[in-house]
Amino acid sequence: MNWKTVLRLISVDVKSGRLVRGRKVRRYRERRFFQYLLYGGACALGVAVGLLVGIFYGGIPDLETKIILYDGAILLFLSLPTLVLIYSLIFTLMSQIQRGGMKSSIQPPYWMPITWEEHTLASTLANLLGFSLASIISIGSAIAVASVFLKIVPLAIFVIPSLLASAFLASTTTEIFRVLQIRLIGAVYKSSGKAAVWVRFIGSLIFFVAFYIVWFAFTSGASVAAIGTVVGAQNAVWFVPYVWLGMALAAFTEGLLAHTIIFSLASLLFILILFYVAVRLNGKFGLYEPPAITISRGAYVPKTGLLRKLGFSSLEAAVMKKDFRAFTRRRELMYIFIMPLVFMLMPLMQYLGALGQSPSTEASPFLFAWILLMPGALMAVMLGNMIVGQEGGSVWYLYSSPITANGLVKCKYTFIIIFSCIVTIACSIVGILVAHPSLNFAVASFVESLLLIFALGAVSLGAGIIGADFVEIPRPKMIRPLTALVNVIVCFVLALVILAPLIPYAVTTIGIPLPLPMVDLYVALPISVIIAIIITYIFYKKAIKDAKEFLAKAEV
Amino acid sequence: MASLSESAVKLKGVAKRYSDIVAVDYIDLDVKRGEIFGLLGPNGSGKSTTLKIILGLVKPDSGSVNVLGINVEEDPVAVKRQVGYVPESPRLYEFLTGIEYLDFVGDVYGMNAAEKKERINEYLEALELEGREGDMISGYSQGMKQKTILISGFIHKPKLLLLDEPLSSLDPRSARIIKDLLHELASQGVTTIMSTHVLEIAQAMCNHIAIMYEGRLLALGNMEELRQKARLPGSDLEDIFLKLTGTEDVKDVVEALLK
Repeated sequence: MNWKTVLRLISVDVKSGRLVRGRKVRRYRERRFFQYLLYGGACALGVAVGLLVGIFYGGIPDLETKIILYDGAILLFLSLPTLVLIYSLIFTLMSQIQRGGMKSSIQPPYWMPITWEEHTLASTLANLLGFSLASIISIGSAIAVASVFLKIVPLAIFVIPSLLASAFLASTTTEIFRVLQIRLIGAVYKSSGKAAVWVRFIGSLIFFVAFYIVWFAFTSGASVAAIGTVVGAQNAVWFVPYVWLGMALAAFTEGLLAHTIIFSLASLLFILILFYVAVRLNGKFGLYEPPAITISRGAYVPKTGLLRKLGFSSLEAAVMKKDFRAFTRRRELMYIFIMPLVFMLMPLMQYLGALGQSPSTEASPFLFAWILLMPGALMAVMLGNMIVGQEGGSVWYLYSSPITANGLVKCKYTFIIIFSCIVTIACSIVGILVAHPSLNFAVASFVESLLLIFALGAVSLGAGIIGADFVEIPRPKMIRPLTALVNVIVCFVLALVILAPLIPYAVTTIGIPLPLPMVDLYVALPISVIIAIIITYIFYKKAIKDAKEFLAKAEV
Repeated sequence: MASLSESAVKLKGVAKRYSDIVAVDYIDLDVKRGEIFGLLGPNGSGKSTTLKIILGLVKPDSGSVNVLGINVEEDPVAVKRQVGYVPESPRLYEFLTGIEYLDFVGDVYGMNAAEKKERINEYLEALELEGREGDMISGYSQGMKQKTILISGFIHKPKLLLLDEPLSSLDPRSARIIKDLLHELASQGVTTIMSTHVLEIAQAMCNHIAIMYEGRLLALGNMEELRQKARLPGSDLEDIFLKLTGTEDVKDVVEALLK
């Protein structure tokens, strides 16, 4: 293995971040200071946390409290390798998913004299760069500093390399997963024929929803509970190689030298085996191209379509049809359907007690309002932000086609409204079945969710046009981060403005006594409608103005 | 048929800069209807930018652009309706199938269903894409993608074709079909402005040729006029091009590389 080649490959991966950051690459000079700022900052944060913990620990006069804290710290140290493993696995998988749409970002330069070992190692290490590595540095430095005060330096010396090994283990697993899923996708395409595109859509939907639910559960309160149970769980599943690093640490703290050595060596061996598997899989399927998906066979028969009958021009209908296919066929766009689903399922699961917490029975009206208002509005905001930028490199066609600013906004806006309304209708059905709200509350929530969709859809479409980003490598950005952030804030404020007249009514329905002037629902709702119409009108007009500029400055 | 003396494209004092780079340096062009016009030049000489300016994709810093009697700046949409544009190595909507893409293009230009069906099927057959039209474009080879983009430039019967390296990646049969088609369309009054690096094709196909270098128009005319300008009687376009663009030191460069 040529280590210089590995380092060069990693540096290429790091440099691909230039495109993500949207900087001009002409006469580009990397500022090393900024490159390492993230890691330096993470280290500084870790040291600060370690110092704070140490000073706090040293300042406790009560011995009993000190012992409790000490035991807690040991427990945390022992669970860290497994927690870092899960955390890194989620992060590296997320990073691969985001890159999934771009073939070029994952294809190794196979024509160069690079071995599969070098490529696999570089890919595995590069996958860890960024927040994964920064968080390990942060945790590691916090442990190192705190251990001095807690007088457990030998354990810290053992924990820190274990964290790095855990992260590498996670990244290697992700590498294996990446290669296997490419091959698996190919097999699915081949076997499912014309249905391949829908198999892919539904399969991705199920996978991502499950993935994000685990992610949210892990990052929410469940993770705190996890720390306490990880050590116990490790002992129960000692035969799973992924927990052997944690087992080695546990054995070390108990003074079981033989167990420590056995689990450490077994972990090392497991990492080597996994890496070997990743190399072999890359060698076998690394250059595999999934077969083309055949969607239609037989004679071509053009259809007039419903949209034409509804009064859309053939150009507008064509763009909407094309966008529908983009959102159901492009994997990187599918999360638009996933987020509203997750936002609906998470509170539902919490309500039904499916996340290991006690089921809630009191907040039914709030749950209903959340399920109805959030997913549809969220979908409108996300779609509005992305719908222009998702054109990517193919945007040249939009520019060179005879589309007007009015036509562009009309078809994109209609698309946002249709999809968001479908989500809201589906959510209303689920909400009614689960929460059994009163008729007044149900109607008011439904109307409000439509108002939010219309208003926030117009606001976000304007932002999507102004901030459109067509860079696709290494992953599609679709909108500039700053524009997206500003848009979220504006949408949040405007949503509050639209909902404001109904807040006293909603709060009273939920059962919270609030000293607010009570406005009758039949008065509050029309006020809210008027506010939403004004916002929609202003921002729709603004979107047309933005689209005129966008088409006029079409420098492709 | 339109009169050949009528201008299809008229550029007057057109200039475009990108910060310190001069992409197009005050050029004048007058392309007649029914003409096949070649735009030649080394990489970065401003050919593609000129094509984009003609279509209204790039706004010039100065000068006026008139296409088929329409001022591009005033009504770019009207110009786009009458133009078929094939950019160099374009990104297609890869999640669509070939037939969906062409159907989409037909709808964008407002073609009726019967006309769309007839023309798409004709082109698919002619360029041997039949049988693969139901596959997603992401699974196409580069040549198949080029055929698809060429068809999309032709199907709506444009009056002006702006083609940037149209024959790259095409197999010999398809390239011949496109060349013959362009000649036939020219005789029907359709104007073609074509940018290419393949000088033999330009020499064989184009009525008039413009050679660009660093944004400037070095020479403009038919083959005979270009020979006179380069003072190379009887020579081919390659020699003329190399002499005019000051890159005739090819022999020295090759010798240096072989050292």
